[in-house]
Amino acid sequence: MILTVLLLMTQVAVQDPRLERLDPETRSLVVSVVDSARAAGLPSEPLIQRALEGVTKGAQGPRIVAAVRRLATDLGTARGALGSGATAPELEAGVAALRAGAGPQVLTQLREARRPPLTMALAVLADLVTSGVPVDSASAIVLAFAPTARDADLVEFRRAVERDISLGAPPGAAASVRALNTGIRSTTDAAVPPGQPPRPPSRP
Amino acid sequence: MSQPLGIDSVEASDAELVRRVRTGDIGAYSTLVARYRNRLGRYAVHMLGDREDAEEALQDSFVRAYRSLDRCDDPARFGAWLYGILVNRCRTSGARAARRRRMFVRDADALNGATHADQADRVEWSDTVNRALARLAPEYREAFLLKHVEDLEYDAMARLTGAGVSALKMRVKRAREQLQRFLKEAEHV
Amino acid sequence: MFDRDDELVDRVVRQLRQPVSIDPALDDRVMAEIAADPAPRATSRPRFSLRPWPWLAAAAVLGAIIIARPWTRGAENSGSNAFQFVLVAPQASSVALVGDFNDWDPARSPMRTAQGVWATTVPLAPGRYRYAFLVNGVEWRADPGAPDAHDDEFGTPSSVITVGGNGS
Repeated sequence: MILTVLLLMTQVAVQDPRLERLDPETRSLVVSVVDSARAAGLPSEPLIQRALEGVTKGAQGPRIVAAVRRLATDLGTARGALGSGATAPELEAGVAALRAGAGPQVLTQLREARRPPLTMALAVLADLVTSGVPVDSASAIVLAFAPTARDADLVEFRRAVERDISLGAPPGAAASVRALNTGIRSTTDAAVPPGQPPRPPSRP
Repeated sequence: MSQPLGIDSVEASDAELVRRVRTGDIGAYSTLVARYRNRLGRYAVHMLGDREDAEEALQDSFVRAYRSLDRCDDPARFGAWLYGILVNRCRTSGARAARRRRMFVRDADALNGATHADQADRVEWSDTVNRALARLAPEYREAFLLKHVEDLEYDAMARLTGAGVSALKMRVKRAREQLQRFLKEAEHV
Repeated sequence: MFDRDDELVDRVVRQLRQPVSIDPALDDRVMAEIAADPAPRATSRPRFSLRPWPWLAAAAVLGAIIIARPWTRGAENSGSNAFQFVLVAPQASSVALVGDFNDWDPARSPMRTAQGVWATTVPLAPGRYRYAFLVNGVEWRADPGAPDAHDDEFGTPSSVITVGGNGS
């Protein structure tokens, strides 16, 4: 009992005041996840925001804790793929790409193919998949774009694909056709047909 | 254990808001701006005698406070610190405002001889006060406003203005004397 | 005629102490000026250190509308990091914007409405933000014009906006 009290007092000393919106039991679990993440060098703000999202949406404590834990794990995976120099926005976008189905190796390839920040490239990848583009196609296209496209180009590409999809085009085809028309210069294929595994761009 | 969806946010303290801004939540600063806008606006309007000048000074002060937020040593006293920035900003605005005031006083003098209906008495009194205030030397006006309108203690005023307490007391005294004189003159026109 | 000099000054003070009402639009002007050049503020967290690249506004938006505010004064660079969020909800009596940028607090970003079109503006530093609209305090809606958040763990819809720029 005393140990619990002492433990709680220590946690109160370090916790973010915003977490007071959580009930005590949930709060202490979330705090321990956040503290571990911090100790591992991962950003804590996304974890706190995830907890706050859960509270605002009326989710039960265990669900909130599970979501925060899952995010912490995924942030770690993203960091493993993107490197310890990755910023918090890059890690968050990396998590989105991973959860969309891109493998860690795609993230690593992207890091090798493109100058930081990678936030927008990763976000476009995740958002393309959300729109229905098969993850392998989306990955291949973004990787092909990666060396030369500006962030603004990637955003414009994604918008164009979404427009086509809203007009009735199958997502995979929409992405491939757009990529072809954009004239991606790549030492591999100009566009990878949907369903085929991506080939990594050859290194200069 | 789950929270109701329509959560009312407990109003965050200045210190909490400053903390949030410092960790990147720029939006938290807008709460501080809304919180202090009218209070500081009152000082700026009376000090500068012109609403447009006052809003400009206010905007500049808020932006400057944001940019130098890491120099706010005590976030719990953010308001007082912000005040100091505004007081200083109003001093540099003085030259432009002085030209406007001279124009205003001239126009108002032209109206002095007219008789006024009862409904206009309040406006008339407000004009009288503003004209009298405008005739004060800036440092007297500043001291008078900080002491009597903004209710600052002399110690706080000394920190804000950089002047000594006895100098400030003298300025407030002079301001009162001059205001009395100006108001009597207005009454006798 | 005034009986006592002090009474005269007291009247002046009472007049001057009356509340002054400054146009709330000043808040928007302040935030827009700040957002145009949100220089590094963080002392402990490097996440939001920024540089004002001119193309930032064009590169940043996914699904949210960039506003161009005709301020008479402002920062010199044309890029603004203030983003406008819009929801068409003619039947709603209140709409709040909640997301990663305001601690998911419904009171932080209330939206204003004109003829059923609800809008608000939020300055955003680079990053990826989940968000949603809370209608009438009870109903969750995603942003129809924005990408889905996709990994929705709490059973309600959310959207995502990604703001580009150097986040390190």
